[in-house]
Amino acid sequence: MSLDFSPVLQSWQFLLGGLGLTLGLAALTVLCSLVLGGAIGLARCYGPAWLRLPLVFYIDSMRSVPVLVVLVWTYFALPIVTGAVLPPFWAGLIALTAQIAAFMAEIVRAGVESVRPGQTRAALALGMSRVQAVRRVVLPQAVVRMLPAFGSIISIAIKDTAIASVIAVPEYLNRSQTVAGESFKPIEVYLTAMAVYFVILFPVTRAVDIAYARLAHLGRS
Amino acid sequence: MNLDWSVVWDNAGALARGTELTVLLAVVTMVLAVPGGILLALMRLSRSRLLSGASASFTELFRNLPLLLVIYAAYYVLPLALGVAFSPFVTALVALGLNVSAYNGETFRAGIVSIRKGQSEAALALGMSRWQTMRIVVLPQAARRVLPVLASTWVSLFKDTSLVSVISVGELAYTAMLIRSRTFRVLEMLTAMAVIYWSLGYPQAKLVDWLNRRFGVSE
Amino acid sequence: MSRQDNAAGAAVVLAYRDVHKKFGDFVALAGISMEVRKMEVVCLIGPSGSGKSTLLRCTNGLESIDGGEITLDGRVLPRDGRGMRAVRQRMGMVFQNFELFPHMTALANVASGPLTVLGLPHREAERRASALLEKVGLADKAASYPANLSGGQQQRVAIARALAMQPEVMLFDEPTSALDPETIGEVLNVMKALAEEGMTMLVVTHEMSFARRVADHVVVFERGSIIEQGPPAQIFDAPLVARTRDFLSHLGWEG
Repeated sequence: MSLDFSPVLQSWQFLLGGLGLTLGLAALTVLCSLVLGGAIGLARCYGPAWLRLPLVFYIDSMRSVPVLVVLVWTYFALPIVTGAVLPPFWAGLIALTAQIAAFMAEIVRAGVESVRPGQTRAALALGMSRVQAVRRVVLPQAVVRMLPAFGSIISIAIKDTAIASVIAVPEYLNRSQTVAGESFKPIEVYLTAMAVYFVILFPVTRAVDIAYARLAHLGRS
Repeated sequence: MNLDWSVVWDNAGALARGTELTVLLAVVTMVLAVPGGILLALMRLSRSRLLSGASASFTELFRNLPLLLVIYAAYYVLPLALGVAFSPFVTALVALGLNVSAYNGETFRAGIVSIRKGQSEAALALGMSRWQTMRIVVLPQAARRVLPVLASTWVSLFKDTSLVSVISVGELAYTAMLIRSRTFRVLEMLTAMAVIYWSLGYPQAKLVDWLNRRFGVSE
Repeated sequence: MSRQDNAAGAAVVLAYRDVHKKFGDFVALAGISMEVRKMEVVCLIGPSGSGKSTLLRCTNGLESIDGGEITLDGRVLPRDGRGMRAVRQRMGMVFQNFELFPHMTALANVASGPLTVLGLPHREAERRASALLEKVGLADKAASYPANLSGGQQQRVAIARALAMQPEVMLFDEPTSALDPETIGEVLNVMKALAEEGMTMLVVTHEMSFARRVADHVVVFERGSIIEQGPPAQIFDAPLVARTRDFLSHLGWEG
C-alpha cells in the first residue's frame, strides 16, 4: 500500500483555514464556559437555596446528554422554537458552551469544597464577611487546585469542536472530510488529521498532567 | 409552529431498537476495554522499557485524538489496511474500544500507583512474588479507587456511542435522525432523542455521584 | 496583688445562661451556665465530645445556639450575620488545626484581619503584624509560608493573627492538641505570657498542668453539662465531684 499525501498538500490553505476555525471555536468556547460555568459553580455553592435546585438540574442534565445531541438540537430544533436561524458556528458555540460550562461549574464546586471548612471558620472568626472569606481565603486556594482541571477543559473543548463538523461548521475535521471525499484519499487525509490533532492536544494534556503532579499537594492545609 | 408528537409514538419501536443498540455498544465496549485497560496499565508499570513505552504511546495517542476522528479513521483505514470489510458495528466497537481502553489504562495505573509503597514492600517481605503482591495486596485496594472513575468513564462512553451514528451504526442518535429526515418532524424527533438520552443518562450520572461519595478517596 | 484577686471583682465579660445546643438528636450542650471575668483565664476541661469546643464555637457565632443566652459585656449576642461579625471582631479565636491561610505568608496571615476587616492601609497592617510576630518570637519567619513552618510555629502565627484584631477576649480551641510534644511548650509559653499581660482568655485544653498553673477558673465538662467548676486548687487537688476525680485520674493526674 503506497500513500499519496499530495491532495493534503494541495489543499493546505483550505485545511489551515479549518484549523484556524477549530482553534477559534475552541478558544471562544473555553472563554464563555469559564465565565458562565464559573458563575454557575459559585451560585451553586453560595447562591440562594431556591437557585441551587435548577442549577444542579441543569448541570446533571448536561452530564447525561451527549454533545452531539445538544449540537444537533441547537442547530436544527432551536431555530424552530425561537424562529431565528442560527449559523452553524454560533450554534456550535452555544451548544459546546452549554455542555462545557456545566463541566466547569462542577470543577468550581469541587475546588471550593476541597478547601477545608476550618479555613472559612478561621476567616469568619477574624471578622471577615462571607464574601470576604470566599474572595480572600477560599477562592485563592480553590483556584490553584482547579488549574489542572481548567487545562483539561481546553483539551476537551478542542476535541469537542470536531463534533461540530456534524452540523457543517467548516472546522478542521469537516474540511478534512471534504478533502477526503474529493480526492478519494481518505487514509492520507485522516492520518494527517490525526497527526495535526495530536500535535495540538499532546502539549495541552502533558501540561495538565504536570500541573496535577505539581499542584496536587498545594494548599493542602 | 405546529407540533405533531404522534411521530414519536409511531416510531417507538424503531427508537427502542436504537436504544437497545446504544446500550449494547456501551456494554460490549466496556467489556473489551476493562481487560484492555488492565493490560495497558500492567504493561506501563512493567520493568520492560519496550512494553512500558508501547503502552504509553498507545495511551497518549488515543487520549489526544477526537473520538469522532478515530471513528472516521477506523471506518476508512481499517478495511484498506487489513484488507477485510467490517460491519459498521464492529468498526464502531474498534474505535470506541481503543478510546476507552486508553482512558481505562490511565485509571488502572493511577489506582495501582496510589497504593502506598509500604503495602507492596510488606507483601514482598512476607515472601510473596511480585504477581502475588499485585493480585492479593495491591489490586484489591486499587479497585476501590478505580471503581468511581470507571463509572464516570462509563457515563462518557454511553454518551459517546452517539458519535458512531456518523458511520451509519443504527443506534439511538442515528435512528432518531433518520426518522427526522424521513418525516421532517425535526423538533419532535430531536427532542425525543434528547429526552431518551437524558432519561437514561441522568440516573447514571446520579449513580456516579453516589459511587464517588461512597468510595471516592478525597486525599 | 495577684491576678486572682484582681479578677474576682472584675466585670463579667462573657456570661452563659442555660445555653443549649443540639446536632440532630445529639445534645451537645445541655444547659451551660458560667462566667468569664475581665483579665481572667478560664480553662474548659473534660473528655472529648463533652461540648467544650462547641461552647467556644457558639461563643463567636460559628454555631448558633438552640436555647439560653450568651452575653458579651452584658449584651446578648446578636443572631444576625452583620451583628455577629461586629462581635467576632472583638474576640480572637485560635483553632486546633491552626487554619493558617496556606496561600499567604506568615506576615500576610497576621495582617489579613486588619487589612480585610478593619481596612487598615497596607503599611500600617504590616507594621502591626510584624510587631505581633516579634511578640510570639517569629520575627524571622515573616516571609515563610505555613507549609514551611513547624506546627508550633504555625500555631504561634495563628495566635498573632487573632491578636492583630486587638480582641477583648481570646478563645483557644485545643491549641496544642495537633502539635508534636516538643513544640507544645513554645505555644503554651506564648499563651502564658498573654495571660500575664492580662488578656481575658477562654481555653479548651487537655494540658492539665497548664490549666493548673495558669487558669484562674477551671470548668469541667461532661456530656454537654458542667459537672464542677472552681479555682484550679479545688479542681485538681480537692475535687468535690467524684466524676472530676475519675476524669483526672484517667489522664494520670496525681495532683
